[in-house]
Amino acid sequence: MAATGRLLISTILLVFTFRSCLSLFYGGNTYKRKLFVQLNPNSSSLPRGGELLHVRAVGQNDTLHYLFCSQGAPTLLLVHTNSSSSTVKVNWSQFSSRNTSGSLTVEPESSILYSSAVVFSRLWEYDDVNNTAEASSDLLPPHELQDFSWSLFNLSGATSLLCGAPSDSTNGSLCLQLSVFDSEGRNKLWPRLLHSANSSQVEVWLNGILPRSNASRFVLELQAVSGTYPLSRVDTRQSIDDEYTPSIFKMFQWVSSINGSSDILGFVQWKPVAYRKSHPVLEDATPCRHSDPDSQNGEETAALSALIRGFYSNPEVMGMNVSFGMAGEPFYNSTMFLSWTMLVGVGSPPVDSFSPLVLAIMAVCLGAPVILLLLGGVFVFLYKRRHATVTAYERIN
Amino acid sequence: MADFEERRGLLGDEAEGSSTGRKADRGPGRPLAAICDPSHFLHRVVVLVFMCFLGFGSYFCYDNPAAETAAVQSEVSDLNLNTAKFMQLYAWYSWPNVVLCFFGGFLLDRVFGIRLGTIIFSLFVCVGQVIFAAGAWTNHFWLMEAGRFVFGIGGESLAVAQNTYAVNWFKGKELNLVFGLQLSMARLGSTVNMNIMGWVYSKVALAVGSSGHTALGVSLMIAGGTCVFSLICALVLAFLDKRAERILQKEQGKTGNVIRLTDVKDFPLTLWLIVAICVCYYVAIFPFIGLGQVFFIEKFNFSPAQARAVNSIVYIISAPASPILGFVVDKTGRNVVWVITAVVATLAAHMMLAFTFWNPWIAMSLLGVSYSLLACGLWPMVAFVIPEHQLGTAYGVMQSIQNLGLALFAMAAGAIVDSNGYLVLEVFFCACVCVALIAAVMLYLVDYLKGGDLNRTAAARAKLQKEDSPESE
Repeated sequence: MAATGRLLISTILLVFTFRSCLSLFYGGNTYKRKLFVQLNPNSSSLPRGGELLHVRAVGQNDTLHYLFCSQGAPTLLLVHTNSSSSTVKVNWSQFSSRNTSGSLTVEPESSILYSSAVVFSRLWEYDDVNNTAEASSDLLPPHELQDFSWSLFNLSGATSLLCGAPSDSTNGSLCLQLSVFDSEGRNKLWPRLLHSANSSQVEVWLNGILPRSNASRFVLELQAVSGTYPLSRVDTRQSIDDEYTPSIFKMFQWVSSINGSSDILGFVQWKPVAYRKSHPVLEDATPCRHSDPDSQNGEETAALSALIRGFYSNPEVMGMNVSFGMAGEPFYNSTMFLSWTMLVGVGSPPVDSFSPLVLAIMAVCLGAPVILLLLGGVFVFLYKRRHATVTAYERIN
Repeated sequence: MADFEERRGLLGDEAEGSSTGRKADRGPGRPLAAICDPSHFLHRVVVLVFMCFLGFGSYFCYDNPAAETAAVQSEVSDLNLNTAKFMQLYAWYSWPNVVLCFFGGFLLDRVFGIRLGTIIFSLFVCVGQVIFAAGAWTNHFWLMEAGRFVFGIGGESLAVAQNTYAVNWFKGKELNLVFGLQLSMARLGSTVNMNIMGWVYSKVALAVGSSGHTALGVSLMIAGGTCVFSLICALVLAFLDKRAERILQKEQGKTGNVIRLTDVKDFPLTLWLIVAICVCYYVAIFPFIGLGQVFFIEKFNFSPAQARAVNSIVYIISAPASPILGFVVDKTGRNVVWVITAVVATLAAHMMLAFTFWNPWIAMSLLGVSYSLLACGLWPMVAFVIPEHQLGTAYGVMQSIQNLGLALFAMAAGAIVDSNGYLVLEVFFCACVCVALIAAVMLYLVDYLKGGDLNRTAAARAKLQKEDSPESE
């Protein structure tokens, strides 16, 4: 019994130590930013070739500039400055002609701490006749996202929606929804990634785009651009906690660091899951995989996107493919919908922690038997003593 | 399978007393060859073989849903099943037994007789499995549920019948060995099922040319073959039993289960605590095994074959561990301490699965040992707290509540996975085990105040018995 009690107590201690460790990571992160949303900064008319969204997330002594642009392939640029008064300047005629760098600048330039961008360059489609989910052969000509006809931004608060369709088709669309956050939290819909004030979330979905074969699967090509430290490696983080994204126990983060050290400057983070419906339940989940990042020609990427051309003079580019579906899983044709979510941010990626529900249940459930054991032990002890005195009394009698 | 088998040993003892079968001298006639002679050991061995395989089919098919789902993960989406719906297949098995636990013995004794009753229950198992398979084949989920319901009507009662046959043929002879063999056979059925159905499915999928619900239906039909086999065993047993009755002039076996619901109000607090332990403990075991395979694939990146293997280790360990641990508990006594130990070990195993990435072989082996230990410690305690003439009712109540708990918790477990994932599920199971632990500790305290009957050492029990017996004489 005593051994049992000790075991329980040590387990409880373990859980609480674990919890306090987590809160060290987590509890301090109540940082808040002020958000300012601006469409096509200092442009008097609607720019030709696509819009530019600028969200300024101002902190106490730093600013995050989120720039999201549909000129060419959709691109999200994130610039971190150490001043709360830094600004973005755009020379619109140069920017739209897409042939010189320096048409978009963040001023003062010396305040820039870090910048990186993600270009959504291509959507590959392949005919998975043998149902292997290997995109090695049978690749159909890719959808070049720079050739899509993109809608105007649909803004609501700090969330903006951009949809586009292949220019030769009116059916269906590929949509990108950017959400910028002023504080920590998570979305209601799966995968419910934990975001901080230092990250934004991009949800990509295909809705009704006509597949070109009966067994189509899709692969999304991403290019990560930065000036100095490229997003060079993908870290895998195992998590015991799948309460926010049921049955997913992994997190991938594509990070940029100084010479491979553990200090992370910026990241793209996602869970290996996509969903086949817009309001998914568990059986609509489909796994996704990624290729190893490899370096790309910066000039080609700059040619794809006005934002990259305008901001970076000498872009360092890493490319990666994210493929959706697994052998034996239903094809895209079954629902004609596919959505995938990622975070883009600066600094260390957010770390999940147990929800209060889990902690409360464990604390109560482990605590109750221990308390019962202690009370019971005391009770038995007192009972024994009383009993002993009674018998002693009788014996004397 | 609601752990009916663990209590057979006890039921057996009880049935032994009440069963009225008596040996008569062999009637006049030509002498029989040993293997055909119902009173000869060799003949009983033949009967034993049929007896063991009588339950094989139902044990084999009970965990079919789990085995099949892990075989091909996408099957869940082939059938458009979410986890909650999938777990309903288990719940539907339990529902009829909430009521049938009370009437199974009555039906066997008074209505059908053991032979006809066994055949009828085997038929239920067969028909249930065929309906289940047909439901999968035609992709109608409600039909699959109906199949599981019919299967459930037969399954548990068949176990009672098997038990009665064993007592009838082996009482006063090799009864404990027979119970042990039947238990191992049940475990074997579950284990073989978990490890072979994936293979059957993939072969069928190849032959049929698609891996959809058709292949699933066909492979479930093939699994149903074991039920037909069991039905044949039931028929053969009925024939042999009838023949033995004619030759030996003995009576049909009786379960001896007399259920009087009015007894319930006299049950002591200790019994209700035992019931609480039983329900809270088993709901953290059986629904978990139903869901376990997908969990191991998702969390620990196991292949389906590995996941099936690690999931069936609980049953594999339990087959040899049950008799060994039973012996240990018998020799040492102190049942409550053993139960508390088993519950704590189970809690540790569940916490390992929930909060670590340690190899699940460790946790599942621990679970297998503690599960066997609990069965050995817990079920005999009922006989200590309940007078013998009320044992049938007590077991009926326990099984009924346990089936109710299993049905409800199976559905709850499925819904939890669907909305909150496996961590919350494991935390939920930990909570159940903790409630069982609280009940076990309370049992210890209540028993202590009552004088410590349950927690005596075996030596003290023997001494007490010796002291008692001269007085009663």
